[in-house]
Amino acid sequence: MAVPASIPLTDYSPDGVDLTLIRWFLSLTPAQRLEFHERQMEDILAIRKLNARG
Amino acid sequence: MPEGSLRGTLRLLSENHVDFILVGGLAAVLQGVPVSTYDVDIVHSREAANVQRLLSSLATLDAIFRIQPSRRLKPDVSHLTGHGHINLITRLGSLDLLCTIGDGLTYEQLLPYSERMDLEEGLAIRVLRLEKLIELKEQLGSEKDRAMLPLLRRTLEEKRRG
Repeated sequence: MAVPASIPLTDYSPDGVDLTLIRWFLSLTPAQRLEFHERQMEDILAIRKLNARG
Repeated sequence: MPEGSLRGTLRLLSENHVDFILVGGLAAVLQGVPVSTYDVDIVHSREAANVQRLLSSLATLDAIFRIQPSRRLKPDVSHLTGHGHINLITRLGSLDLLCTIGDGLTYEQLLPYSERMDLEEGLAIRVLRLEKLIELKEQLGSEKDRAMLPLLRRTLEEKRRG
């Protein structure tokens, strides 16, 4: 379904912070935030490790 | 890094009844700030029995100072009862023990600005509230701390807006 033109697709604060990202993260429980963060961190570290190989 | 290392560190400290408050980036993450952080920062109680419990936990974690890791320097009572910051690497990742933060604020002084948070069944920890994190970052004033302020402030606004 197409997004109606009346709906703004982004929402940034005057100092450039993506408020949609904050709202999504706030919608999670602290445990879910930690789980997401750990998963993300492990992925980043795995990619770094992979690319560090000679 | 093993799976769930951040949680593993917090669980071990909690199971060993270490009195601490989670501060720094992970405290921000748990309160909804979408940032990345790779270490656990805590302010611990420097009360003698607590320091012993913390030392015991550090031994279990094989904690050594991150500076000159090849020398495998281990923290002792004098480090944990001082005023400085102790930057460690453990088998579960980085762990920073902060004897005091900001303008010399101790665990006891920070307690009123912390809240209890459940992370899983049987695991609840104390986390420094976003308002205090912002206040401390404002005081510190380093480029790194200032860079994080817009995200912290906007998240607090969104939280208050509900």
